[in-house]
Amino acid sequence: MTLRNIIHSAIAMMVCFGALAGMYALLGAPIVAAAQVLIYLGAISVLILFAIMLTQAGDANLPAPFHRQVWLAALAALLIVGLIGWGAVSTDWGAAAATVAVDLNAIAAALFTDYALPLEIVSLLLLAAIIGAIFLARRPEEDERAN
Amino acid sequence: MELLIVLIPALPLAGFLFAVLVGPRLDRVPVHGHAEHGEESHADAAHGDAGAADHDAVDESGFRPIPSEEEQAATSPHAGHADDLANSNGADGVIPPELNDGLGQAGHVTEDGPQPVYRSWIVPVGLVGLSWIFSMFVFAGVVFGGNEYHVTLYEWIGSGDFRIDIAFTVDSLTAMLLLVVSTVGLLVHVYSIGYMNRDRGFWRFFAYLNLFMFSMLLLILGDNFLLLYVGWEAVGLCSYLLIGYWYKKPSAAGAAKKAFVVNRIGDFGFGLGVILIWVNLGTLSFREVFEQIGTLEGGTVTLIALLLFAGAVGKSAQFPLHVWLPDAMEGPTPVSALIHAATMVNAGVYLVARANPIFAESPAAMWVVAGIGVFTAIFAAAIALTQNDIKKVLAYSTVSQLAYMFFALGIGAWVAAIFHLVSHGFFKGLLFMGSGSVIHGAAGEQDIRFLGGMRERMRWTYRTMVVGSLALAGIPIFAGFFSKDEILAEAFNRGYYLFYVIGVVVAFMTAFYTFRMIYLTFHGRWRGGRDVFRQIHESAPTMVAPLVILAVPTILAGLLLGIPPEGGLIHGWLEEVFAHSEAAGVLPGSLAAGEHHGFELLGIGGLLLLVGASAGAAGIWLAYRWYVLDPEAPKRFVQRIPFGLGPGMYAASVNKYYVDDVYQLVFARGGVLLANALWWFDAKVIDGAVNGIAWIAQRLGGLLRKVQTGRVENYGLGMAAGLVLVLIAYLVIRP
Amino acid sequence: MGLASYLIVSTLLFGIGAFGFLARRNAILMLISIELMLNSVNLSLVAFNAYIPEAQNAGALFALLVMAVAAAEATVGLALVIAIIRTRQTAEVDAYSDLKE
Repeated sequence: MTLRNIIHSAIAMMVCFGALAGMYALLGAPIVAAAQVLIYLGAISVLILFAIMLTQAGDANLPAPFHRQVWLAALAALLIVGLIGWGAVSTDWGAAAATVAVDLNAIAAALFTDYALPLEIVSLLLLAAIIGAIFLARRPEEDERAN
Repeated sequence: MELLIVLIPALPLAGFLFAVLVGPRLDRVPVHGHAEHGEESHADAAHGDAGAADHDAVDESGFRPIPSEEEQAATSPHAGHADDLANSNGADGVIPPELNDGLGQAGHVTEDGPQPVYRSWIVPVGLVGLSWIFSMFVFAGVVFGGNEYHVTLYEWIGSGDFRIDIAFTVDSLTAMLLLVVSTVGLLVHVYSIGYMNRDRGFWRFFAYLNLFMFSMLLLILGDNFLLLYVGWEAVGLCSYLLIGYWYKKPSAAGAAKKAFVVNRIGDFGFGLGVILIWVNLGTLSFREVFEQIGTLEGGTVTLIALLLFAGAVGKSAQFPLHVWLPDAMEGPTPVSALIHAATMVNAGVYLVARANPIFAESPAAMWVVAGIGVFTAIFAAAIALTQNDIKKVLAYSTVSQLAYMFFALGIGAWVAAIFHLVSHGFFKGLLFMGSGSVIHGAAGEQDIRFLGGMRERMRWTYRTMVVGSLALAGIPIFAGFFSKDEILAEAFNRGYYLFYVIGVVVAFMTAFYTFRMIYLTFHGRWRGGRDVFRQIHESAPTMVAPLVILAVPTILAGLLLGIPPEGGLIHGWLEEVFAHSEAAGVLPGSLAAGEHHGFELLGIGGLLLLVGASAGAAGIWLAYRWYVLDPEAPKRFVQRIPFGLGPGMYAASVNKYYVDDVYQLVFARGGVLLANALWWFDAKVIDGAVNGIAWIAQRLGGLLRKVQTGRVENYGLGMAAGLVLVLIAYLVIRP
Repeated sequence: MGLASYLIVSTLLFGIGAFGFLARRNAILMLISIELMLNSVNLSLVAFNAYIPEAQNAGALFALLVMAVAAAEATVGLALVIAIIRTRQTAEVDAYSDLKE
């Protein structure tokens, strides 16, 4: 996040996503790892890179400076990290000693039975997102008509 | 008889309504008045307008200014265009003050053009005359028949326990006052026909006079404190209306206001007293109150008595509320005669006399009454010594004589006080009307320094005024002697020796200043303008007749009523009213406290009579020496007073001992200062607080709106801060 | 490795994402930070799923749903950013202050 160049930041983000995918696999949830790679690395990262390209016409090395409020932000972030971390660490989660792997069949079954409604809603959400994105990002009509 | 009693006040009320509704249409006053002489005397362009500018008024300190060229020119017949605004139906046009003259100038000025016709007096005077006849019937019935009448008209207020009836009671006290009020009232009405006969507002005058008669009669006839209070306030109102009759004259308007305000101060106390009576006794009817007054504790009774007396102090112009009476001389002379000599100012005396059971229960209050009475008597007499306006001399004389009456009431000499009230009403009314006749004859001049030698030209006025003055000075045979001496004798008998001595001194002073006035006015050489002198004449019969009529009781009333002292007719009549209070005010160790010997001509009683008469005679003699024989003597006397105090004392006396100035400073200027301070407080502190809150709100708002930057990152920071707070709350504090 | 370690990593990621969101001026970088925060949540979900057997795969499932929502949100967000950048010619969020007081 502290990289000066926005493209460098985007690349770093992709690396991060990749690492997370690896972590998911380590945690015994390969399906999530696969989804992570597909969605984040495959779609969202590309999306972001496209957005950067579309908006930085000819100026890909544009520096990305910090706010004036950077110190307050750092303080807030530190506080958040500290509090949550302390809370998380000091709580007894009743964790088992070893990891439990994800059962793919069970997930698939649950997705279409217990969690069918969220599934449908998420698909609606995606539909709305697509439509909205298309609408928002189109070129202004007046220029084309004037031409 | 009951019907007559109801009619006595009702007739003047009807007269008032008649005068107001129909009166204006009955008079016809021409637009242009009589021709003007180009005189140096006051501009008397008498267009018969109301609201006269009394050019004749002289202030105490200086000479009367000779009208300037413009003033004379303005009042010439050629300046009459202002009359175009005037109309002749009695309403007042917009006339400049210099052109208005309310004084009657009957007969001496040649008139070109139509004469004014006055008919609006007929009904009011007639009704008052009728009321007088009925009053005499009732008087005879009460006094000679020994009856006491009580008439209830109807229930006025009936609210739970509080019940007030419109009811009239006539006992001998009321009857005595009826005598004075009705008689002098009728005579003043007749007198006014002549006195006001150049005035535009003729009908208005009679309307107010009738209203006043109604109010005063209501006051003395009422049988409960509330009716008395109603009448009391109403006479105060009428006093205002009548003093300020020439309302366009600023000094008159101011005097009317002053009278009303000062009266009001006393009325406030009176009102509180009435409320106290009601709170403590639950009734306001005289009979019930007097029966139960003994049940209250001393402090309460004293308080009630003092509050009632406060009202009397205001109404009857005693110190310190005396200041309105001399200024009230701004009103027409009939007003002064009626209200400020014979009737309204007696209301205070009537109140205290009527409430004698209350006062008898409170020795402290009686001391206060007597003390104020004595002090006012000598105070007012000391001022009257140096006054130069005829009416002011008589005004202060009235204050002084009223003080005598309060003095008498305060020492328990109830009958003597009422006796003096009756005789004073007659001779003071006479003196005032006589002075009006003098002013009339001298074409408006009121300053006795500019009069003189009028007795050949105004014989009847002179004679009657001398009669009145002899009465006032307390010379034997005349009415004033018997009443005044009885007061002094009672003072001596009851043990008030110091007050007695003061009373004798005041008697001397009274005689002195009265005859100073007589000598300066009627004897010696005329000191005014030559042209005025040429037209001095006796006044019209309507004005002289009341003088003569009043001279009769002035001479005879004492003889008829007061002989023998303490045993005369009037004592018999009033005995019952004051029966329970006879013993009040008697100091232990005095003559009256011991065995009562009754009056002895060759004993103490006779001695006291002699002292009183001598004091009066001495005063007259001194006045004669100083104002007839040797006019320079007063000045030499003033110079010879040790320690060089003479001129200062003279100045103090002329300036009324600066009481008015003190009041002006403390109350008027002080009031203004207080008002300014309060205004400052309201504007700066209270408004400041309110505005301050608004200012704070504005500043706070101004600060707070800077939070809304419109930038996402700042809002995000806010969210993060909130998140931190929540985390702290849940993880650290763990509620 | 233990649940706590994963949670610490997740927390740190969240903190970095939060810092980036609050401290950067470029709109797209802010969106990147948001993605980072969402990912950290995913990580913690999957970690819980792995270490707490009673969860019965709810964690992984929820992580998948979160991913879907994140994708949608990234889409719309980027579309917005593109539109805004086109009209204002700048990517700095300091300039987007029309709604200020």
